[in-house]
Amino acid sequence: MEGFTLFDTLVLITYISLIAWIGSRFGKDQHNPEDYFLGGRKIPGWAIGLSVMATQASAITFIGAPGWGFEGGLERLVTFINVPLAMIVLILVLVPIFHRAGIYSIYELLERRFGPATRTLSALLFLIARGLATGVVLYAPALVLAVVTGWSVNLTIIIMAVLAISYTVMGGISAVIWTDVIQMFVLWLGALLSIFLLVTSLPGGWGDVMAFGAGSGMFNAIDLSFDPSVTYSLWAGLLGGFFLHVAYFGTDQSQIQRVLSSPSVVDAQRSLLIGGYLLIPQMLLFLFIGIILATYYQQHGLTPPDDLNELLPRYVVSAFPSGMAGLVIAGVFAAAMSSLDSALNSLSAVTVRDFYSRYIKPNASDAHYLKASRLATVFWGLYATLFAFFAGNLGPVIEAVNQIGSWFYGALLGTFLLAIFSHRSNARGAIAGLVVGMLSVWTVSSQLDISWLYNNTVGVTVSVTVGYFVSLTAPAPSRDQLSDVMMEEAAPDMQAVLAARADNAQVIGKEARVTRRRCIGLFAWFCIMLGMLALLQGWANG
Amino acid sequence: MAERLTLARQIDDDTAKRRLQRLGAKACEPGWVGLWAAGLGMPAGDPGAWLLCAKEMRRALLLVGTQLPAHAKEPNTELKIDSSLPPTPEALKRLWLWERMATPRYWRIQVLDSAPTPLWLPCWLGYARGRQHRLVVISGVSGEPLPMLKPSVLKGLQQAHRDTQSAELEEQRGNTIG
Repeated sequence: MEGFTLFDTLVLITYISLIAWIGSRFGKDQHNPEDYFLGGRKIPGWAIGLSVMATQASAITFIGAPGWGFEGGLERLVTFINVPLAMIVLILVLVPIFHRAGIYSIYELLERRFGPATRTLSALLFLIARGLATGVVLYAPALVLAVVTGWSVNLTIIIMAVLAISYTVMGGISAVIWTDVIQMFVLWLGALLSIFLLVTSLPGGWGDVMAFGAGSGMFNAIDLSFDPSVTYSLWAGLLGGFFLHVAYFGTDQSQIQRVLSSPSVVDAQRSLLIGGYLLIPQMLLFLFIGIILATYYQQHGLTPPDDLNELLPRYVVSAFPSGMAGLVIAGVFAAAMSSLDSALNSLSAVTVRDFYSRYIKPNASDAHYLKASRLATVFWGLYATLFAFFAGNLGPVIEAVNQIGSWFYGALLGTFLLAIFSHRSNARGAIAGLVVGMLSVWTVSSQLDISWLYNNTVGVTVSVTVGYFVSLTAPAPSRDQLSDVMMEEAAPDMQAVLAARADNAQVIGKEARVTRRRCIGLFAWFCIMLGMLALLQGWANG
Repeated sequence: MAERLTLARQIDDDTAKRRLQRLGAKACEPGWVGLWAAGLGMPAGDPGAWLLCAKEMRRALLLVGTQLPAHAKEPNTELKIDSSLPPTPEALKRLWLWERMATPRYWRIQVLDSAPTPLWLPCWLGYARGRQHRLVVISGVSGEPLPMLKPSVLKGLQQAHRDTQSAELEEQRGNTIG
């Protein structure tokens, strides 16, 4: 056991300084304004996709998923197995509508469709939910810092909060896509190196891992039980997890903001595709590390730490060669900072756009709004810090983040679905659906013994059903209110115009629908992943 | 009002067809949309990019480059859509404020203090046909899909259709009288 050496500390400081320097060099101090814009456009789509993934979940995954795998093996993968299907819905339905509507905050769409009260309520729910989840994101690097230094985690939470708030207020570094990509690779490298070192330290190598995994049921990823109290059954993952991820990627401003800022729908779709393909393998990788760690702990007769989030950071610090531990821990820090920066920015942007500039100071100067957004960043940073103190009690951070989302997202997604698919629904129905949907989630999760993954299904179903039926008690929305969610060219007179123009236009030839092909690809990927898990489970059970 | 600039069409016929084909279109035609451009740059500096918009647009298009890629000849034979009104300077500044809030990297860039320049933006209009006819608009400068221009383009197409119908009616009437 080498521990965190002086050389590791040097590597950590150098890495963080380098990332900060690249951020300030390429993100802020361009002399030619053209560079600001061209910077983001010369970068290939795959790098943008990886950067989106990096800000989404990398540090949380690195810290939380191994603990998850240690505890329950691959069974928890069903939470993520639905991601390709969720991406199909986003690519086909939500992203084109959001892009066409030309909105900055997705809650604006609800205002145009249902009026200001729905926008305000849904934006408020986002702020509460994302603020809480940001607390968990803040806890993750604080825990790593506590492991490295031996300091109390409460102290490291405060240190991390001060660091994250200060640098977000100063402008942040998340704008630099390449640094996010580097972080992603550093974390994957850390994961692969952990696997290599762990497996080579076992006398029987992979054979020991496979035997332990098969013997202890850790490869049983697919549970076909219809019992709703089984937390990670396949049905909970498919029904509940699917709605969780559609809501998370589609109705959480911190996730959809980059998609809305993409130059085009096609670019936005590409970044979602990367997540659609890579999230399952990434989760599989980290859950597998958990299984290998469980084998390692069992063979060495070790007692796991009380907080399973500490598992991988502890192993990295104790077993990695000097320098490598510093690099990987620095990668976790930088990735967590990037996620925090992105979350705090979206929280402050929604606060200023959806609340401050509408209800408090509608026509202030740019400088005033900048000041307001900085104050909002500090406020949400403090809110997240308060919650971070409790995050350690919530179990693996990756589950905590998703559970928090499951309390809020179902009803929120239901309201968006009502706005898009039910042209009869109106403001009264939307508000009723949102409120009753939220209440039903809380009632079901506190009164019934059912998997938390179903919270999202309950929220969506109740908010859509109640929303629709309550809408029938008030007049239908005007055509103008439906303009964002209806295909403008659907009107019969417009169809005639388009048919006439198409007849006289140049023929292109056979259509090559990229979107359709992309969605088929994602569906095939989902089937392949599910098939592979079934094969592994079949092998493990003889 | 300043003279209307015509931006050069940089996406040729073949490239446009390929891109529109990927978006599901089966037929296409070139067109022009009348918009206004406002320079973006450091305060008291030269523009590094342009915001293209019209009064009724909710979100502006961003065109990167120190100079607008202007073309000397005004379009005459192709479809021209010019039903929009110019944005006010205040509206432009507010639009850009929200863009900056969404992308903090742009924070130091401002809308430069000069009157917006009217221009013709080249576009390619793609027509897709599934259960219904669908319109796809892509930029003739960059090839990017421009869904936010669809409402203006549809309005323009409707107007052009009406104009053609009334011209045909006039012609028929003329033939009958003659």
